[in-house]
Amino acid sequence: MTTAPKGGSRLPDAITDPVTGRRISLLDWKATNLRASWLLGLVMVVLLGGLGWLIGFAIDPGLAGVVVVIAVVFALGQTAAAYWASDTMVLSVAGARPATQDEHRYLVNVSEAVAIGAGVPTPRVYVIDNPAPNAFATGRDPKHGTIAVTTGLMEILDRQELEAVVAHEIAHIRNYDIRFMSMLAATVGAIVLLRDVALRSMRFGGVARRRGGGSSGGGRGQIIAIVALVVLLVLAPLLAMALRMAVSRRREYLADATGAYITRNPEGLARALEKLRDFRGPPMQVSEGVAHMFFTNPALKRNANGWFATHPPLQDRINRLRRM
Amino acid sequence: MTTIIVLAILAALILFAINVYNRIITLENRYQNAWSQIDVQLKRRADLVPNLVETVKGYAAHEQEVFDNVGKARAAMAGAKNVDQWAEAANMMTAALGRLFAISEAYPELKANENFRVLQEELSSIENKIAYARQFYNDAVLQFNTVITTVPGVFFAGPMGKTKHVYLEVPEPDKELPTVSFGAATA
Repeated sequence: MTTAPKGGSRLPDAITDPVTGRRISLLDWKATNLRASWLLGLVMVVLLGGLGWLIGFAIDPGLAGVVVVIAVVFALGQTAAAYWASDTMVLSVAGARPATQDEHRYLVNVSEAVAIGAGVPTPRVYVIDNPAPNAFATGRDPKHGTIAVTTGLMEILDRQELEAVVAHEIAHIRNYDIRFMSMLAATVGAIVLLRDVALRSMRFGGVARRRGGGSSGGGRGQIIAIVALVVLLVLAPLLAMALRMAVSRRREYLADATGAYITRNPEGLARALEKLRDFRGPPMQVSEGVAHMFFTNPALKRNANGWFATHPPLQDRINRLRRM
Repeated sequence: MTTIIVLAILAALILFAINVYNRIITLENRYQNAWSQIDVQLKRRADLVPNLVETVKGYAAHEQEVFDNVGKARAAMAGAKNVDQWAEAANMMTAALGRLFAISEAYPELKANENFRVLQEELSSIENKIAYARQFYNDAVLQFNTVITTVPGVFFAGPMGKTKHVYLEVPEPDKELPTVSFGAATA
């Protein structure tokens, strides 16, 4: 017994936000994400309702009310699906299978240990049979936490490095990043889908109006609505996607810092990232929709550090860890 | 009007007090849970040890001193009456098992034994879990101590009968992290 906490207290429990330069407490981050998730759900309903009204009004003012109801129901459905089903979906898309105590004893033990260190229930552990080293976490809260790692990752990392990657993923779970990111992904997806539906129906609506011989052609309000709609429908998806990627990149830094804090070993994570950086095998084939969930972007070459990159550049993440 | 203001202030104060009270209780529960997590791992380790000793005896029966040390550590764990003795016994066991695994390096047949390999992985991962559980326990105690010694928690700790809790010391060889410097100067 002693009066001093054991080693590692020199690691910071707060990091500087790479975007705003403000200090973020790793412990308060969870609350921020929970608030943001609620807000996002609300924004999604309002936004889709508003867009729905514009679309309805542009096609036929009489239809506006109906389209709003459809859009809001659709938004609620998307939110609910993102909340409850995103983990099942992403696991099946990635081709993950449950890890067993016999076959993957090592991985299961490492995950249990890190979960104890993070103070969360042991996550469900999945394995993806793929030579490319990668991992992801899913689950709306720590009780439903799930992590999946590729067989390639287990092959190239030693125990400390694997612990570090698992800690990064558990950090995503503990911080409620998963809930927030899957809600955000659903919002962006809904906006994009709405754009496609609207563009198609407007073409259809235009044809219908011409057939009507202009007798029922809407007034000036309708034209304004159409113009506003076109601008919104072109800009909104782009903005939403750029926002989503910025949010995703920021959470990667935070998960790195939290993971380093959980293991008290930033060097382990830095070395793991170096091994991933130097990996020269074929990249993992995953759909665009789930790329942001992985430990490193599966398609490394694409959008390495542009506005639409889901992850910060690997070298930058390594440098930050080495500076801790 | 004055009544309403007084009532509003009173309500705010009560809500604030409830908040602080709950925070202290939550943090106390957290370190107590962390403690039971350590206990769970120590029990799992104790359950595996006889099995391990039997397996090793089959190949290295004459390493009597090592088996004696493990036996002593087991007895100390069973007889521990307070936290200090308990922690000491747990550390003894860690050291004894460490030596046992060290001597096993000299017996290739033992190392090839499937049962031994599984036990070795299980026990070393339990050591790892104990280290993590201690770390989380100390984190939780640190948080608890901070809250009850700073404003506003310090005003509640006395009436609630809460005092600073002690940290768990980790013996040096226990945590086998690399001795990397993270740049102590900047930390």
